[in-house]
Amino acid sequence: MAEVEETLKRIQGQKGVQGIIIVNSEGIPIKTTLDNSSTVQYAGLIHQLVMKARSTIRDMDPQNDLTFLRVRSKKNEIMIAPDKDYFLIVIQNPSD
Amino acid sequence: MKINGVQPTFTHNDRYATLPLASDVTSVALGSRDAHRRTKSCTSHPVTDKMGEAEETLKRIDTHKGVIGTIVVNAEGIPIRSSLDNSTSVQYAGLLRHLTTMARSTVRDIDPQNDLICLRMRSKKHEIMVAPENNFLLIIIQNLCE
Repeated sequence: MAEVEETLKRIQGQKGVQGIIIVNSEGIPIKTTLDNSSTVQYAGLIHQLVMKARSTIRDMDPQNDLTFLRVRSKKNEIMIAPDKDYFLIVIQNPSD
Repeated sequence: MKINGVQPTFTHNDRYATLPLASDVTSVALGSRDAHRRTKSCTSHPVTDKMGEAEETLKRIDTHKGVIGTIVVNAEGIPIRSSLDNSTSVQYAGLLRHLTTMARSTVRDIDPQNDLICLRMRSKKHEIMVAPENNFLLIIIQNLCE
């Protein structure tokens, strides 16, 4: 648990990082550095996107699987690291 | 005197009539007003220039180390340029179009002033990058370790 906290602290300390959210397999945020409403919004939308991305990769090749997703937009970049039971979302400002 | 089987049409300066290379003929023809009007090899049309630039860019990406394939998809979801076989291109185009639309609406739902620039998916076997622009999609598939 301490290792997890340390890792989160390290990521949060990186230049440009606006927020970190950890979401469980049901799409419920279990840890966050953002306010509640943003967290819930990000968690819900990104959960759906990750599911779709994962099924896209599997449709192309059933032996393959998604390991990382980066959504770059004009204002920020959202990085998602999916795992078996959770996924980690990091929102950063790429120009910082 | 014929150069590469083509009779040069410029006549106002005899010096150019002895050039050995066809490329020199074209460059001289462009520099000469009379020949410029008559020559058919002139390609300084803006649309052709832009297409040439696009082709060159695609070629540069294609030959980049680690790139497995590039696909350009039009507004209707049809691959118009691809370095992969037709069935794979059509499959990628269809699937990635839906995903890109979803990613774009995710970004806009979070912030209506924002818009998607690029989507990168890393999988166990390779990495897929999708860049949407004006209803078109540029899809690039590359190896992981390069």
